[in-house]
This record gives sequence, structure tokens and C-alpha cells, in this order.
Amino acid sequence: MRNNNAYPYPPLASRLYGVWFRHMRVYTQNIFSNGLPPFLEPILFLAGIGLGLGKYITESMEGLAYIEFLGTGLLMTSAMFTATFECTFGTFIRLEFEKVYDGMLAAPVTANNLIIGEMLWAGTKGLFFSFAVLCILALFGIVSLPKSLLAPFVGFITGLMFSTLALLVTSFVKTINHFNFYFTGLISPMFFFSGVVFPISNLPGYVRPFAEVVPLTHSVRLVRAVCTHRYSPHLLFDLLYIIVFTLVIGYFAVRRLKKRLVY
Amino acid sequence: MSQTAIKVQNVGKNFGKVCAVQDLSFDVAANTCFGLLGPNGAGKTTMMKIIYGKCTLDNSNGSCVNVFGYNPVTDELAIKYLSGVVPQDDNLDDELNVVQNLRIYAKFYALSAKNTNERIKYLLDFLELTEKRKASIKHLSGGMKRRLIIARALLNNPKLLILDEPTTGLDPQVRHLIWDKLRQLKKQGTTILLTTHYMEEAFALCDAVLIMDRGREVIQGTPAELLERNIEKFVLELTGSHAISDIEEPVKTGIRVDRGQESTRLYSNDADRLKRLAAKLEGAHYFLRQTNLEDVFLKATGRELNEKQ
Repeated sequence: MRNNNAYPYPPLASRLYGVWFRHMRVYTQNIFSNGLPPFLEPILFLAGIGLGLGKYITESMEGLAYIEFLGTGLLMTSAMFTATFECTFGTFIRLEFEKVYDGMLAAPVTANNLIIGEMLWAGTKGLFFSFAVLCILALFGIVSLPKSLLAPFVGFITGLMFSTLALLVTSFVKTINHFNFYFTGLISPMFFFSGVVFPISNLPGYVRPFAEVVPLTHSVRLVRAVCTHRYSPHLLFDLLYIIVFTLVIGYFAVRRLKKRLVY
Repeated sequence: MSQTAIKVQNVGKNFGKVCAVQDLSFDVAANTCFGLLGPNGAGKTTMMKIIYGKCTLDNSNGSCVNVFGYNPVTDELAIKYLSGVVPQDDNLDDELNVVQNLRIYAKFYALSAKNTNERIKYLLDFLELTEKRKASIKHLSGGMKRRLIIARALLNNPKLLILDEPTTGLDPQVRHLIWDKLRQLKKQGTTILLTTHYMEEAFALCDAVLIMDRGREVIQGTPAELLERNIEKFVLELTGSHAISDIEEPVKTGIRVDRGQESTRLYSNDADRLKRLAAKLEGAHYFLRQTNLEDVFLKATGRELNEKQ
């Protein structure tokens, strides 16, 4: 009765694509309500700066006009927020309320495939959201094309990186309200202390280490370099940080979350 | 010559201190329908999940599961590729319509675009959902959702169909439709493993059943065997409390009595004796019938509720 021939179940890439496709399909089902806000939000931000706040900030930041400084930072915060929402609330709802994963895991998909597919989808959303911001920045003439077209790819790896952390957090969460701690405790501080709103170089000495340790800082440095075309060897360290962070946190996220999927 | 589709040997599963499945063994012959029966919390769902790799089994000597020659621990994907699963809870994607729900699953099996379209068309027709193909999930009745989930499980033409309470909460029309479809699938060569709380369903569909309680096997065999070996042929059911006092006599004469709070059942192989007895019970509500699988089930698993039910 033993059949030694490997059965032709779909290969890894196809299984990951299946998971990714499911998320993409559900997301694009409401393309208007899902796809429009990523474009509107940067408009609001930039209008606020251009019409109001910007008049008071005349000093350049790291050699950039304030609107350039903040605008390029927003490329990364949008990727961070979308990947984080997707893999905290989104994942938790699919896991506990909608039972979507129960169905998917009955198809030829392993728990590992499912979690990594989840990360790839979050990366894709990071790419799309930073692309949306880029469109607005280009429209307002804040960044120049085509050299800034690399920015959405930094959005992809940023989305991927934040999805690993979000999934690791989700693996600990028992009720959906616990995510508040993560958002207030880490995501919001990162928005302010990662060189998005103001440079970290002039922060007091006791805040600097926080800024260097958290992931967003490194994404922001990379994307600014891409948009301004000012590359330095320093950036290799930022890239290395992102790769190591994604691999290490991703490993633990898969390991822990798997236990909630297959028990 | 019948092949074995599923072989389960001495399988156990504990969740912390809670024992879900204990030392369970059974074989499912290919091309047959096997029913796992038992009260809520008996471990039926856990056992099914072990078979397709959604639950792990506890390591112990001599325990093994084999599905078409594959081990769920190491060959999870092969088993999932060959199986279709209908879970207990509806887990369709509410945002998508009927066809879209099927399409996303076709991707998991890497069906070609042509195969996907043909298969979806065939399955919607098979489960009588063609008219609803564009309907949103929110607008489907419970029976339609159930049928759609069965269609989804059949996308890859599975050799094994696993159904966890497929007809719970459905009306008789839909239930009979689903039974017919399952019989057709069996005829086409599909092996079926199902759990149910409806004994008539088990009797109608299953070639073999296993009754389990608190994670352990109580009895197993073909439905006919279980009836023959475990229960008298006839039962006289009495309702109303006044009836109870009148039945001291049969106890002495060896008729088995099963007392409930508001009803009493008298079991015997001799229908005439039960009839004579019934005739004496003037004014009482009574009903004389052949025993069925439900009587076996209640006898095997007891009438009282346990802490998991």
C-alpha cells in the first residue's frame, strides 16, 4: 500500500503564491475603499506641512527641506503601519474569528507556508503603500523620478520586516485588545524617534540608543538615500540590520505562530 | 480485494492535562464510508485533524497513522493533496462570492485556468449551486454554505473526503441531497470519513462506524453488526411519569428497562411481549418500534452528560 513516488503536490513557490493570492484577492475585492486611502493620507500630511507647519520650520534637516525630510520618511511609516495592521489585527481575526486558516491548512499548504505567505503579502502591501506615497511626493515635485522608483522596494523589505515582528507579537496575544500595548508601546514611539519627523542626530544621548535599535530608523535611512541619491557605505549596515532582523524575528515568529495553527 | 485507505493504530492525543484521544485504532477500507460517532467532546474532531495533519499526535510506541501510505507527520502535503476537508465551522471568505471562494482554493491545488473553470462549473452543478455562482456569501442559506464548502473540498477530485458534521443544522431536504451526493461520490471511488451526531445519517451512509466516548473507543463495526450484537430488536417507548409505576412486572420477566426522567424505554427481542405489555398500560402514551443506532449509541455512551458535553 506504500506509495514511494512523491505525489505531485504543488511546489513551494506555488503554495506560497496560493496564500499570497488569497490575501490579494480579498484585498482587491474592495479596491476602492482599500486602495484609495493610501493615496489620500500622504496628501493630508503634505498639505498640513505645506499650508501650515512648514512655515514655522525653516531650518533644513539633514540637508533637506522639511517637506522633503518628512515626505521621504512617510514612505516608510506607511509601509510599517500597513504591514503591522495586516499581521496583528488582520492575522488575529483570520486566526481566531474568521477561521480562515483552518480552511487553508486543509489544502496542501503547511503552517510554515501559510505564515511565510502572510509575510510576503505584508511586504507587498508595504510596496503598494510606499508606492502610493511616492506617487503623491512625485506629484508635488518633492522627489524626482525615476531614481526614486526604488523606494517601493525598500517599502517591500520594510513591510516584510515589520510583518515578522507583528506576527511574533500576535503569537503571544490572547485577546485582540492586547495589540494596544504593541501600538502604544512600540509603533507610536517609532514614528517619532526613528528620524521620520525630525533627525535623530540631535536627540539626547539617552534616546539615541532607542533610535538605533528599532527597525524603522534603518528603513528610513535607506529610503532617504534612494530618494536623494546620496549613498554611503553606512547604508550597508542598515541593510544588514534589516536582513538579520527579518530572518531572526521571522524564525521565531514562524516557530511560535505555528503552534497556534497546528496543535 | 479491498485496500486500506486509512490505518490508525494506538493513537493518543493530550492537550495539557486534557485527554482528547486515547489509544484509538481503526481501519478504513478504500472506497467505503467510515463514521466516527460520539458525544460532543469525545475526540472525533481531534482524530480527524490528526489524519490531515492539523493536529499532531502524541509520540508513543506503536502509535501510527497511515493515509494511502503516507504519514501525516512527515507527508502532510501529500495527504492534503489527496484529501478534501469539510470542517465543522463554515469558514468561507465573506468578502468574496461563490465562484471566487472556489477560485482561491483552486490556486492551492495549482489547477490550470482551464481545469479550474471546468471543475468549478461541474461542482456548482453537482451541488446545485449554479444559480448562486455570483451570489455573495452573506446571501447564502446555511445549506448553501455547507454545499459550497463541500464543493470546495472536492476541487482537486480527492481520493479521501473528510467531513466533520456535514449536515448539522440543515433541513431534511438539504440533508438528503447531501447524502445522495456522498453516495454518488462513494460510487465514483471516493473514500469518506465523517463524524455526525445523527444516527440515521450514520446508518444511511456508513459501511462501518466507531462509537467513541471520552477519547476512547466504545464499540466499532458495521451498523448492522452493532445493532445485532449490542441491542435488543424492539423497544417500547413510554412517555409520561405515571407509566413508570406500572412497569414493575416486566423487570421481573427480564425485559431491559431504561428509565429517563419523563420517559421509559423497554427493550426486548420479543415484539409480541412488548405489545401485550403496552396493551395493559391504559392511557399511557407509548410507541413500539425497531431499535436503531441511536439506541445503541445511548446504551454505549450512557444517558448522562459528562463534563465535556
